[in-house]
Amino acid sequence: MKFDVIVIGGGSAGLEAALAGCADGRRVALIAKGRSLEDIDYNPFISAGGTLMMGDCVTEGFIEQGNVTGIRTENLGPTLLTADKYILATGKFFGGGLVADMSGIREPLFALDVQYTADGWFDVDFFAPQPFMSFGVKTDAEGHPYKDGVPVANLVAVGDICAG
Amino acid sequence: MKNEDFDVIIVGGGVTGAGTARDCALRGLKTLLLERNDIATGATGRNHGLLHSGARYAVADSESARECIIENSIIKRIAPHCVDKTGGLFITLPQDVDAGYGLDYQAKFIQSCRDAGIHAKAIDPAQARMIEPAVNPDIIGAVKVPDASVDPFRLCACNVQDARDHGATVLTYTSITRLLKEGDRITGVQAKGSGGVSLEFRAPVTVLAAGIWSHGLLAQVGIDIEMVASKGSLLVFGHRMSRMVINRCRKSADADILVPGEPVSILGTTSTKVPFEDCDRLRVTREEVELLLREGSALCPELAQTRIIRAYAGVRPLVSTGSSGSDGGGRGASRGIVCLDHEARDGVKGLITITGGKLTTYRLMAEIATDEVCRKLGVKRHCTTATKRLPDIVGRLSRNLKPGRPKPLREDDMVCQCERVGLADIHYAVQELGVKNLEDLRRRTRAGMGTCQGTFCTFRTADALCAELGTPHEAPRLAREYVNERWKGMMPVGWGDTLREMEFMQRVYKEGRPYSYEV
Repeated sequence: MKFDVIVIGGGSAGLEAALAGCADGRRVALIAKGRSLEDIDYNPFISAGGTLMMGDCVTEGFIEQGNVTGIRTENLGPTLLTADKYILATGKFFGGGLVADMSGIREPLFALDVQYTADGWFDVDFFAPQPFMSFGVKTDAEGHPYKDGVPVANLVAVGDICAG
Repeated sequence: MKNEDFDVIIVGGGVTGAGTARDCALRGLKTLLLERNDIATGATGRNHGLLHSGARYAVADSESARECIIENSIIKRIAPHCVDKTGGLFITLPQDVDAGYGLDYQAKFIQSCRDAGIHAKAIDPAQARMIEPAVNPDIIGAVKVPDASVDPFRLCACNVQDARDHGATVLTYTSITRLLKEGDRITGVQAKGSGGVSLEFRAPVTVLAAGIWSHGLLAQVGIDIEMVASKGSLLVFGHRMSRMVINRCRKSADADILVPGEPVSILGTTSTKVPFEDCDRLRVTREEVELLLREGSALCPELAQTRIIRAYAGVRPLVSTGSSGSDGGGRGASRGIVCLDHEARDGVKGLITITGGKLTTYRLMAEIATDEVCRKLGVKRHCTTATKRLPDIVGRLSRNLKPGRPKPLREDDMVCQCERVGLADIHYAVQELGVKNLEDLRRRTRAGMGTCQGTFCTFRTADALCAELGTPHEAPRLAREYVNERWKGMMPVGWGDTLREMEFMQRVYKEGRPYSYEV
């Protein structure tokens, strides 16, 4: 299945990117788990001709030679979804864009480079800025995240998943 | 209140002090209980919440085991509302065989239990897996014992309440600045009340029941007792994983007890000697968490995949017995009850220290201390706490409203949904139970102790509490304090689903995202 743009993540950042993608008649897919901190209205996206994959989530992503070559989702099983451009808007820890365990933090779909510190994740004052809230994938000036130190040319990270 | 005279002053509002105050009041003594924070803020509020059957001590310390089983059945009788009779399992795993804790040890364990009067019964591993599906399926042996889960906050509050009902004066947020000494006699205490008010109380007998903090108070009057501050760290898991208390059937070690407590499960503990000055600022370390998880998974494998709500640590006030154990953490030190008459021991009249022991034996400790108080005062009245039922504090709260009570709990009255705490509970807790902030409220009602850890309810609970206290402008400050206290317990376990919850909390409180009672 081929799209012009695939947006992964149905939060406000993902929806905004998906709407922008629809602007000049491109075929856009938005993959939304259907669980967000925000009240999201997907109707404008559907009206603009977008394909909303509600209740689905990406299980695997493939990167070859600095480009995403396709993704697979839970609902579509073995079917490979491809696009000219991919947008990653999976959020931080709550959304599942980043996964932390005792050994560190990783980006689970593409194993992108994550910017974080080995310790000092928290400030003891809850209401002070919390270092862990600034962890995320490292991006270049155009928003391309890195994998193994190389920017991924057809992938753009938006929203909370970005470091900083 | 200033210069008021009492028969006895008890220092420390943990379960031991509260139990002693109750016993003294029941024996007709004019009793004062002083606590520098709120009740149950020290070791009482920082343990497993395990009502020991004594089985854990049966092999190594038969005296403690006997004390435990007797007190276990007494507390089940006098405070059934504080006890959840879960029963307990002592399990043997394949790896225990090589370490010398195989089925031969199990046989010895069962015999030791029986010698101590503990009903211990070996059951088939298949049957154990059936009655306790959460247990490690690799077990090669299991013994059923009458362990139980107890709510230490409620137990302590009930003792305080009964002491008050029998005429005792209870002052929280009142810290001792000095023990008053005249000649060779302690004649009372100087204290600082809330708002920094200087207070002075006099009594012919003072009882120190301040746990590890007794050490510092005694040092002030030149008395040295060899105490070991033994830190124990515990983890709270997001749901009730097991039906029963699960123990390892071997010599006591780290992380070998899992206790179901209301809607959660508690795993512990570690045992590390810490300096006295650290007792007021304990932090659970990363190494302790790793150790707890590694060892705890042997009891209940599901634990490794379960969200950790928080970590906390308490201090066991152990008294050195001279014969030291093999480790430095105090597992070798006696867990027995220590009651010191400082007249006989140090030539200081009118002063008693009650320490050592454990949550399960608090009532016996109180009885021993009160016997000593009565002896000193020349009062001949017998202890009745082993048979007289404790009042049911929480039963007076709305969740268990009896017919004729004013306000049934409705959905829109509710402030904490995890623990079902309503506006009527807050009203009662402020008017009758001396609650002054959200932490106090948590200890009386469990508000904010459930799976959301106050993420959804702290704002509205703070508003409701401060309205009841008549200080609505204080609500933001109380909410901040409370959230920071919850945060402290989350930081040591901040990864996985706990970190997800932490991000969520940040967003709820900082970005003011809309949330509703139904979330």
